[in-house]
Amino acid sequence: MSDSIFEKFSEKKMSRGEFIKWCGVGLGGMIIGGSFLKLASAEEGISGGRPGNKMKGLHDLVVAKGDDPYAITTKAIEGMGGMGRFVKKGGVVLIKPNIGWDRAPEQAANTNPFVVGALVDMCFRSGARRVNVFDITCNDAKRCYEASGIARVAKEKGASVYFADNWNFVKANFNYESPMQGWLIYRDAIECDTFINVPVLKTHGLTGLTLSMKNLMGVCGGMRGIMHSNIGEKLAHLTDFIKPDLTVIDAYRYLKANGPSGGDLKDVVDMKTLVVGTDPVLADAYACKLVDRDPLTVSYIKEAVRQGIGSADFSAADILNA
Amino acid sequence: MKKLVLVRRMSQAFFLILFVYILWSTTYPLKGIFPPETFFKKDPLLVIAASISERAALPGIGFSVAMLLLTLVFGRFFCGWICPLGSMIDLCGSGTKERRFKWRNVKLYALAAIFISAFLGVQAAWVLDPIGLAARFISLNLIPGVTVIFDKAMAFLIKALNYQEAMYDFYRGLKSSVLGVNAHYFSHSWAILLFFVLVCASALITKRFWCRYLCPLGGLYFLFSRFSLLKRRVSGCAGCLKCVKGCKMDAIKSDLGDRKGECILCMDCVYECPAHGTRFSFSGPGQKSARDGISRADFIFLAFSSVFLAGWRSPKEHGARVIRPPGAHNEKDLLNKCVRCGNCMKVCPTNGLQPEILESGLRGLWTPHLVPEIGYCEYNCNLCGDVCPTGAIPRLSVAEKQGTPIGLARIDRSVCVAWAQDKQCIVCEEHCPVPQKAIKVYREEVNGLTVFRPYVDASLCVGCGICQNKCPTRPSRAIKVTP
Repeated sequence: MSDSIFEKFSEKKMSRGEFIKWCGVGLGGMIIGGSFLKLASAEEGISGGRPGNKMKGLHDLVVAKGDDPYAITTKAIEGMGGMGRFVKKGGVVLIKPNIGWDRAPEQAANTNPFVVGALVDMCFRSGARRVNVFDITCNDAKRCYEASGIARVAKEKGASVYFADNWNFVKANFNYESPMQGWLIYRDAIECDTFINVPVLKTHGLTGLTLSMKNLMGVCGGMRGIMHSNIGEKLAHLTDFIKPDLTVIDAYRYLKANGPSGGDLKDVVDMKTLVVGTDPVLADAYACKLVDRDPLTVSYIKEAVRQGIGSADFSAADILNA
Repeated sequence: MKKLVLVRRMSQAFFLILFVYILWSTTYPLKGIFPPETFFKKDPLLVIAASISERAALPGIGFSVAMLLLTLVFGRFFCGWICPLGSMIDLCGSGTKERRFKWRNVKLYALAAIFISAFLGVQAAWVLDPIGLAARFISLNLIPGVTVIFDKAMAFLIKALNYQEAMYDFYRGLKSSVLGVNAHYFSHSWAILLFFVLVCASALITKRFWCRYLCPLGGLYFLFSRFSLLKRRVSGCAGCLKCVKGCKMDAIKSDLGDRKGECILCMDCVYECPAHGTRFSFSGPGQKSARDGISRADFIFLAFSSVFLAGWRSPKEHGARVIRPPGAHNEKDLLNKCVRCGNCMKVCPTNGLQPEILESGLRGLWTPHLVPEIGYCEYNCNLCGDVCPTGAIPRLSVAEKQGTPIGLARIDRSVCVAWAQDKQCIVCEEHCPVPQKAIKVYREEVNGLTVFRPYVDASLCVGCGICQNKCPTRPSRAIKVTP
């Protein structure tokens, strides 16, 4: 058997030349390894955001009510003129639900899994090549994906459900002055043909309610806590950057207190409602009305209206009650 | 006859792979085929020493007693055929020349010291136990290291291939099954690595150096295997002494006599014997054997020195200086029962459970404590108690665990941006997992802006530390959890 390295040293079998050779090998290895690590954690690319498809439905908003979350989702999208208006044949769709918390569907802290399931089904029926589903969670991602039921249902329907990688972000670049300048956004949220935002309606300590615009924080990296100061402007700019094509607000269950994480079933109210729209601001404003709240008291809606990103005036909007 | 050596090597490989597999699958959602405590429950040194120092038989003590009884029949089969550390040491020392030392009693001194301090109420088996040593290395060094390197390599490859879909999906599949979402990091894991490397590298001095001279579990099996029925028998010896020179445990004397209790049944001597005269059997004339072991004087010296050792920090009840995992309030119980296997830290989904270095003194070395700035205690998770082999972290249901505070959060109003700078934040309140929110807010209008100022309701706070983990103030967090 061959001698071990220890033997080589202890028996003084290693010559000076050999020693230098080994040092060289070590040094070379470190250089190669180091440059490989540097490449692997290379700088993120820069993105100017999604161009937006400016796709319109048959109505500005569709509000569907019913006992089955899957059925009302189908009904609401059909009311908008069908998923085919929003999904290109062979296109890549991103469905962004709220999977932020390690909570069960009954606790209403995450988007209802069957709403997501219905959307996945409709996207594939409209010819989507691929449907991605992910969220950058607040609690441990594996637990959230499982507890919410979303991973199971969406996978059954054929969607690609995956965890975000910490190396796959792009830096946001705005062509106007923005507090979100340079913020890290997950690449898949930018590089998709259709962006469907699927928040769940629930209370939130700082903003009052979390709705579709707040749900977009789930594609952001970095230290998201900082976004809470001046949150209205930040979320308005983020919405303008992502330009979601379709907003589906899940108000099947409503967490009326102790949101956004909740946990107590006594805080959950059945509303059995779904709001669908192409203007995220309008959809959010309508959801406020559902729970008797003035939309303009929600900082991000107010800011988005002020900046002309969307409208909160649903008195002038064409709303279908399906 | 080569077959026996081959079978032994296969057994070693099987148990080493099994050991790594069990530790690898010690992660949420605990879907491994074998329970995470499998190897530790069968380690008589850990289980019996912890039982004695706790004055209570640990659950599953029967398995380790069974191991000792099996040793009475078969000898030190564990050391040669099963021990994962022994297998790794065999790999390291495969090319080492034979050297002999007269230190074989050191392992018995270590064993005696462990048992005497156990009787005095201090569990010290973890210091040198081979299973814990190997498990710590695999869970806290090897698996995180392999994961990081694999992660980086895949990230590099995927970027180089311009996010090629099939490749990326393959990686995502691995991440959600075997790799885990994030590679874990363990503070001061260099100390664990160093200890392991020293033990393995000792095989470069001579084969199985650690097992021959130092291992206290080997010492315990040594005591029992002295009476074992399965013995080496030699017939028709040609006097070549190949077996004597080749024995990796130095268990054969030059007159072919046994050094009692040292043989680990590796079967090398059976294989190497040119006369095919060596075999192992339960009957037939045995080899004459010499008595080795500790003298009475040694034992008395040890007893005294152990009293000193056990007393250097009296095991009186004292509060923890660090945040302990849920249910492990009693510091004395934790220190005595904890065998430093690393299972709880391996399984912790947020990576918050970290090995101590000297935060609560030398006696707390490598015990688990929560470091909220690395990871918090996940509200619905009770896995650390589930995987603890000795009950140092009690097995609590999720509901019991949620009702067991591990600390208390406090807000530093001079740092908190809502209190000190009138800014909007309350990230702590947002993340608080207690259904009724242990963090509440005062609303105040300041210059037309509604500011929410957080405060902690001590009657609800469970000390999970998610508030400290998510608090955006730097360098010092505005909310901190204390035990």
